[in-house]
Amino acid sequence: MLMPPFELHRPGTVEEACKIAAELLEAGQEFDWIAGGTDLIPNYKWHINTKPHVISLSGIEGVSQISMNEIGCMARLHDIAQSDQVHPLISEAASKVASSLIRRNATLGGNLCLDTRCFWFNQTEEWRSSIDWCHKCDCGTGADCRVIPNQNELCVATYQGDIAPNLMVLDARVHLIGPNGERDMPITEFYQLDGMTRNVLQPGEFMLKVTLPDDVSDWTGAYRKLRLRDTWDFPEAGAAAAWRKGDRSTLRVATTALESIPRRHDTEVAESNGDVKSICDAVYKSTKPVNNTSLPPRYRRNMIKVLIKRACEE
Amino acid sequence: MSGGYKQQPGSGSGEVRKDGKRVAGKQSFGPPGSGGSRPEMKPRDLDFIPEMVGGNEKQPAGAHIHDRARTGTTVGKAIPLVDANAKVTGQAWYGDDVRLPNEIIGRIVRSPHHYAKVVSIDTSKAEALPGVIAVATGEDAPNKFGVLPVTKDEHAMAVEKVRHVGDLVACVAAVDEATAREAASLIEVEYEVLDSIHDMKKGLEDVDEPIHWRGKYHVGTTNVQKRVFQEFGDRSMVENPNAMYHGKWKYMGVNHGFTEPHAVVAHWDSNGRLQLYTPQQVPHYAHRALATVLDVPMHQINVIRTFVGGGFGGKSDPFPHEMCAAILSRKAGKPVRITFDREEVFWVNRGRHPSHIEVQMYADEEARISGFDIDALIDGGGFASFGHVTSYYNGVLATAPYELGSFHYTGARVWTNKPASGAMRGHGAVNTRCAVEVGLDDMSEQLGVDPIDLRLANLLPPHSRTISGFRITSNGMRQALQEVRKGSDWDNKFRKLPLGKGIGIGCGFFISGSGLPIHWDPNKFPHATVHIQVDMDGGVTVHTGAADIGQGSTTAVAQVVAEVLALPIEMIHVRSHESDTSPVDLGSYSSRVTFMNANAAIRAALEIKEKLLNAAWDTLGYHPDTLVLNDRRIYYKHDPAIGMSYLEALHKAQEDKGALISSGAYRSPPMGGVHKGAAAGLAPAYSFSAYVAEVEVDVETGIIKCTDVWAAHDCGKALNPLAVEGQIIGSCHMGLGQVLTEQMVYGRTGHLQNANLLDYKIPSVHEMPNVTPIIIESCDPEGPFGAKEAGEGPLLPILPAVVNAVYDAIGIRINDLPLTPDKVWAAIAKKMKVEGIDDPSELPVPRIDFSDLQEKLAKRAAEHEIRDKKRQRSEDTNAYVNGVLFGFNPDIPLEDQVEGWKSADKPQPEQLAELGLAGKAWLKQEQRHMGGEN
Repeated sequence: MLMPPFELHRPGTVEEACKIAAELLEAGQEFDWIAGGTDLIPNYKWHINTKPHVISLSGIEGVSQISMNEIGCMARLHDIAQSDQVHPLISEAASKVASSLIRRNATLGGNLCLDTRCFWFNQTEEWRSSIDWCHKCDCGTGADCRVIPNQNELCVATYQGDIAPNLMVLDARVHLIGPNGERDMPITEFYQLDGMTRNVLQPGEFMLKVTLPDDVSDWTGAYRKLRLRDTWDFPEAGAAAAWRKGDRSTLRVATTALESIPRRHDTEVAESNGDVKSICDAVYKSTKPVNNTSLPPRYRRNMIKVLIKRACEE
Repeated sequence: MSGGYKQQPGSGSGEVRKDGKRVAGKQSFGPPGSGGSRPEMKPRDLDFIPEMVGGNEKQPAGAHIHDRARTGTTVGKAIPLVDANAKVTGQAWYGDDVRLPNEIIGRIVRSPHHYAKVVSIDTSKAEALPGVIAVATGEDAPNKFGVLPVTKDEHAMAVEKVRHVGDLVACVAAVDEATAREAASLIEVEYEVLDSIHDMKKGLEDVDEPIHWRGKYHVGTTNVQKRVFQEFGDRSMVENPNAMYHGKWKYMGVNHGFTEPHAVVAHWDSNGRLQLYTPQQVPHYAHRALATVLDVPMHQINVIRTFVGGGFGGKSDPFPHEMCAAILSRKAGKPVRITFDREEVFWVNRGRHPSHIEVQMYADEEARISGFDIDALIDGGGFASFGHVTSYYNGVLATAPYELGSFHYTGARVWTNKPASGAMRGHGAVNTRCAVEVGLDDMSEQLGVDPIDLRLANLLPPHSRTISGFRITSNGMRQALQEVRKGSDWDNKFRKLPLGKGIGIGCGFFISGSGLPIHWDPNKFPHATVHIQVDMDGGVTVHTGAADIGQGSTTAVAQVVAEVLALPIEMIHVRSHESDTSPVDLGSYSSRVTFMNANAAIRAALEIKEKLLNAAWDTLGYHPDTLVLNDRRIYYKHDPAIGMSYLEALHKAQEDKGALISSGAYRSPPMGGVHKGAAAGLAPAYSFSAYVAEVEVDVETGIIKCTDVWAAHDCGKALNPLAVEGQIIGSCHMGLGQVLTEQMVYGRTGHLQNANLLDYKIPSVHEMPNVTPIIIESCDPEGPFGAKEAGEGPLLPILPAVVNAVYDAIGIRINDLPLTPDKVWAAIAKKMKVEGIDDPSELPVPRIDFSDLQEKLAKRAAEHEIRDKKRQRSEDTNAYVNGVLFGFNPDIPLEDQVEGWKSADKPQPEQLAELGLAGKAWLKQEQRHMGGEN
C-alpha cells in the first residue's frame, strides 16, 4: 500500500489556497483538495484517480467554525457530533459517520464532497486491472461501466455521505470559493449527476462553509441510516426528515446512498399531502439504486420505506 | 538459625548470631527471589491442590494422573499471558517488524485472469529498471509443495498455469517498494485464457482442462479433488421415522480476518544458510516445504517464527510467498522482505470452504436419533491445502456428541478458479454442525419436546465410542447443556418470547489434537517434544516448537512447567521462535498445542523435578516421596523446617553433571478403526460445548442483533481460566461474523468483490453480545492436568444457536449463511405472503405444546445423568459403544448382533442412484479404472 508521489501544497489562508489552485490550473497541472484525508488517502493508496498535486486545507485559519447557523468546511465530524452548538440533526448524522477514529480527522467539507463509491471502483490497482478497469477510473482505456455494462457514458457510483440529506432537510446553503470568487447555493443544487461529475464544483473551487437558515433551531427531525455494522460502514441507504416543531405540514424528506447524488424529495412529499406512507411509496418508486454496494439494490430500495417512516416518527 | 529455618540439617555448626544475621560462609547462594537465604516462600495454595492429594480443590470428575504433580503454583489460576507485556507495549515483533541490514523489498506479480496458461514471461524490462536487484519466475522453483504430503499441488510461482485471479506468476526484488511495484508492472506475461469454473457444482462435471491433474487417481476428467463416502450403522432404522428433518444449506466462504497480514523476511546468511522470518502457525511444515522447493537440506534452513498477529488456520500452510522471498534473497544476496496488502491476504485465503450441505435427520418413536444423512459439497478454490482433511471433517465430526442409529456421509471437494480454501478455526466441523443442530431443533418441534431435553436424552456418555469408532474419553456435554439452560433462564424464555425476540440452543464437538499427525514418518515420530534446561541461575529455559499465535500456548507451557517445579512463572523462559533451537513440533492447528505440548512439557519437567528431589534426598536424608516441592524450596513433609532452597538443590544436582537437561515427548495412543478415512477426526480427546443465544430481529428490516450468549465449554481443566474465557469470547465473535455478516462475495464475473476489511464485514464491538463464558471441567484422563482444547470448539455452537434463536423470534428458518438483513427481510416478505398479512408485526410466533414424549425424555435424561457420573468417575468401567441406547450389547461387535449394521467407505452399486449432490462425485470413475493415464 504505497501512494504514488505527489507534491503537497499547504496554504495558510483561503486566498493563498485559491492562488495555488489558479497557478496549477494555469500550468495545466491536475490536483486534488485534501481536508481530513479519510476519503482521499485510501483512494490514493489504491491508486484511484491520483493527481500529481494535492492542496491541503488543514493549515487554513478560521474555516473550522461550528455554530447553529454556520459550519466551516474544516470542522471535524467529531467536534460537530460532540457540539451542543449545532442543530441536533446534524450532530446526530455526524456521529453516525464511520468510526470515532475517522471522525477525529474527517471534516464536514470532505463528507459533503465525498467521492462516489462502487465495488467495481473502490479496489486496488491490480484488482481493477483484472476487470480491465471501469468507466470511473479507466486509465485512459475508455472502459465500460461494470454496473451497467456496454456503455461508457454514465457512471452510477453511489454517493454514500451521511450529512448531506440532513443539511438538505434543514435548507442549508453551501458556499464555494475559487479563483473566480465566491458563490453560494442551496445544498440541493450542489449535487449533480452522474457519479463522476458528482457536484457543481468548478476546477479550482472548494467548499468554504455551510450556512443554515436563521430559524433552523425551530426545526426538528431525525436521520435513519441502514448499515450492517454500527461503526465503520458507509450508509447502504439513509433517510433524513425534518419539520418545523409542531407543524407537520412543513415536512421535508431527503435520502442518501441510493443514487449518485443525495436527493430531497419535495415532489413526493407534496403529492402525498403529508401522508408518510404515501411519501415512502412515492420515494420508493422514484429511487432506483444499483448493485454496487454491500447490500442488494432491491433490499436497499425497499428499506428506504422503513427508513423514511422511522425518520418521520415524532 | 532464625525462624527455625534449617538450611542443612546436621552440617551446620549450630552457631547463632545474636543480632539475627547470617553466619558468614554458611549460605553462599541465595540471591533474592530464587528461594535463597531470604525465604519469602509463599505458603502452599491448598485451594489449587486437588483434594486427592491433600488440598482443597474439589474433584467432581475424580482423580487425575497428574494430581501428584500439582503444587498449587499456577494451574487453574487466571494469570495474564506471558507475552502480554510485549504485545501491549508494542515490543512484540511481528512479521513486518523484522528489519535486517541491507534489506530489499520484494513484490509479487499476480495473475489478472481466473484461469490461463502462461505462454511466456518477459522479465527483461523489469530487470533493466534501475534499482531492481532480482527477478524470479516459476522456472526458478519447479518443485511442488503443499501442506499435506498426499496433495502437493502448489508451486512457488505459476509453472504452467495460473488458477485464480491473484495467483503468483513472478516476483521482483528492488531497493524500495516503489521500484519493486514499478518493476512488477514491467513484467510482461502472455496468457492463453482458459474457461474458468466458479460454481462448485460445475466442479463435478467432466471438463477439457481440469484445474489440476492427479494422474491415475483423477476422478474422470472432473475437478473433484477428493471424494468421501462413510456409512456406519443400520440404515433400516431410518425407515418410518417419527420425525424427520431435511435441510439444504448454503454457506458462503469466510476468511480468518486476522489483524496481521502475511509478511516474510528471507536472508541467506554468511554460511549460506537460509534464515527465514515468518509469522507461521506451523513453522515445521514451512521448513519442510522450503527444503523441497529450494532443494537444500532442512538443516540448512532456520525458520524463525515471529510473533503471529492472529492465525486461526490462515497461517498454517507453507506459502508460496515464503518461497518467493527465499528465492529472491538467494538471487540477490541480500535480505528480502515481502509484506502483503490486505487484498493479497484474501488472495492466499485458506478460509472456510464455501459449501452446499444437505442434511437429513431422523428420530424414532422413542425420540432417539435413528440416522444422519449428510452430503457436503465444498469449494476448495485453486489448491488442495488442507482440503483432503476438510472433506472428511465435514461429515465425521458430526458423529458425536449424540448416539446415532446410522450415519451416512458423502462429501466432495472440488477445485474452482478462486483463492484456495483451507483450514479455519473449527476446521471442517462448523458448517455441518450448524445444519445438524438446527435439524435437531426442528425435530424437537415436530416431536413436541424441548430441544435441550432432546439433546440430553441422546448424548454419548464419557468413555464411549462413537458410531465411526472415535474414542470419547472425558465428556462434559451434559453439564454444559445444563449450565446454559440454567444461566439463560431457558425454561422461562423458550417459545415464550414476543415476536422479534428469540432464544436458541446449539452444541459443538471438536477434536483436541488430531490423533494422526500430518507428517507421521518415521513411524513413531512424537507429536510434540519439549526440552527443558536449568542452569545455575535457577532460571528454567523451555524449548518448544509450539507456535503461539495469540492463543496462549507459550503461557500454557510455561504454566505447566512452573506448576511441576513450583516456581514463579517469571522464572520460566519459553524459547519457541527458532527451528535451530526448538524441537520439532507439528504446529498450532487442530487444537493440539495445549494437549500435546503441555503433556510433553509435564514429562520433561517431572524429569527435572526428580533430579532436584534426588539432590535434596542426598542432602536432607529424606526420600523424595516424603519431600514437598513448594515455592523455591524443598522440605520434609512432616517438618517444613527441614529443607533447602531450590537453588541449593539445583546446585547439588549440578555437581557432577552440569546444567539439568531433560526432554519430554507426547504421542497419542493408538486408536480408531481400520476403514479408509478412519484416522480423520481421531483425537486423543474431544471438547464439547453448548451455547444459548438470545437475539432481537427487526421484522421490518431483517436486521438481527445478538444480545446475549451463555457459552459453556468443556475444556477438561482450565489451566488458565482467563485464557479460556478469552478463547470462548473470541470464538463467539468469529462465529457470529460467519452467521450474521461475513462472506467472501464473488461477483458476476467471478472476481472477489470485497477483499478488504471495510467491505468484508467482521462484526465490530457494537455487534458483540454480552457473552457469559461458562467453563466446564470434565478432567480429561490424558490431558495435561485434565485439560483439553478451548480454541476452536467454542466457535461451533454460536452459529446454530443464533439460527435457532432467529426461528424462535420470527418463526422462520433460513438455511443460507450469513443471515444478512436482505435475506431475512426476503424470507419475512415471503412468509407474509404465505400468511396473507401486510404488516410484519402480525407474523405468527412459534409456540410449543409439549407431547407425552417430553416427560419420557426428561426421565431418560435423568437416568443418563446418573450413568454418566458413574462412568466419568470410573465407577462404571463397562464398555459403551454407540448403539447401546438402541438396546445393543457393547461387548459383541454390532455387525454380529444387528443384521444390516455395517461400516462402509465406498458406495455399493445400488446406492449410486440415490446419492446427493456431493455424492455424485462417486458416479465418475478414477482414471486407473478407465484405462487412462497410469
